[in-house]
Amino acid sequence: MNWTFPLASGLFEPKRDSSPGETLFFKLFEIFILCYTIKFSFEWAHYTQLRNVDVVLPLGVANYFDVSLFFDHYLSYLIAGSILIISIIAFFRKGPNWLYMVVMLLFHLLYVIRFSQGEIPHSQNLIGMSLLCFAIGLIWYPDKKYQPRFIIGSILFFIGLGYTTAFFAKLIGTGIHWFDSHHLWLWISEKSVDILSREGVYNPNFLQRLALTNSGIASMILLIGWFTEFIGFTLWWHRLRPYTTTLLIMMHIGITLSMNIRFDAFVYQLILIGYPWYRIFDLYLKKTPDWVIKTI
Amino acid sequence: MKQVDQKKAMKIIGFTLTIFILTVATHDGEFWPFSTYPMFSQAGNPWTRAMILDVSQQDEETFWQSHSLNERSTPTLSLRKYGVDQIDFSNFISKTDHWSDNRKNALFTLFKNDLLPDGKWMVVKVRGELVNKDSVHVRIQPFLLLTENGVVENPLLDDSFYFRGEN
Repeated sequence: MNWTFPLASGLFEPKRDSSPGETLFFKLFEIFILCYTIKFSFEWAHYTQLRNVDVVLPLGVANYFDVSLFFDHYLSYLIAGSILIISIIAFFRKGPNWLYMVVMLLFHLLYVIRFSQGEIPHSQNLIGMSLLCFAIGLIWYPDKKYQPRFIIGSILFFIGLGYTTAFFAKLIGTGIHWFDSHHLWLWISEKSVDILSREGVYNPNFLQRLALTNSGIASMILLIGWFTEFIGFTLWWHRLRPYTTTLLIMMHIGITLSMNIRFDAFVYQLILIGYPWYRIFDLYLKKTPDWVIKTI
Repeated sequence: MKQVDQKKAMKIIGFTLTIFILTVATHDGEFWPFSTYPMFSQAGNPWTRAMILDVSQQDEETFWQSHSLNERSTPTLSLRKYGVDQIDFSNFISKTDHWSDNRKNALFTLFKNDLLPDGKWMVVKVRGELVNKDSVHVRIQPFLLLTENGVVENPLLDDSFYFRGEN
């Protein structure tokens, strides 16, 4: 037996038959990913056209050519518009099966154009990874039977990998004392300046005041969050997935409260992909809706 | 999914993972959407951010002086009101090593339509660090003054602050 089979069993659940509810959920999840892809695309295009003047930090393909040529003449809007049109065609499975890969490349290009100003945000990474998994899935699994299972399984693989990677990045970058309370104090002060700069005023909330006055609580907040990141890889097994998902969502709420960093798209996606919602659909569906069959 | 398809699926994931590792390894950990998620990985290091203080009502003798965040007596501009992302702005200020005329013009362009006549907006660097390993000290360093006529460097700082990066 191949050593990857236990992992593949957890991700793809080969012994479970596909159901109308699972197929419907898959298309609804695809709509969710596309809505965020299009939303981010137009937000990035708008900011680029309005504010980007000079390249401060080249990311991704921006290391190989000057992306400032997209700052003017509404070229960023042109890219966003192309993403919108191609996404709709790909959603209805019209045209070649590599259309989502084209959307992915355009999405990457728009990201490096918008975020050439020095900031490296990660709150859109899950949407980007999911779109990539859709692109790969449509190319390698064009058949209706295996496509949803492969795409959802591969997304779960990369989400779990991402969280556990973040744990090790902290262990390597700082060491086992990463959860020292003073580190949280430093981050709270840093984020307080960000809020002050964004809003013009800043007042610490209850959790921040508690962490700043009690080093034990501050350390505990960091330790619980760090441990939760470590077990991110347990998303790979469907029996553990709902429990890990719940912990990860709580961790994100904790990050929002303690450091004012919001990961809305992350949390919504975790809620959708971390729980077996298809079982609820299956209670009410006798067969897969026609529009779903036609668009896979 | 049959066993043979599981094998195919794992091969595709393995191939994607290989591309993931190769791209992040050669691009400082970031090749979107691939990332090693390094945020908060280096704890305890001093940080530098930036913000804008409205010093229109202040004397020139005092507004160039550095001071602690707690001593701040001037109002802070809400960058959101002007449609500027505050993280972008912080990085733009703190990661610029060489304040060429072009870079100053880029900064001026961000706000020139919002500055009132006689308005004076001070771009400040804000630096936080752990002191004596048990408290956080946050200091404000006035850096560039925005007026309707352009951008002015802090006369109390020498050239190395503007042409050699972080100080």
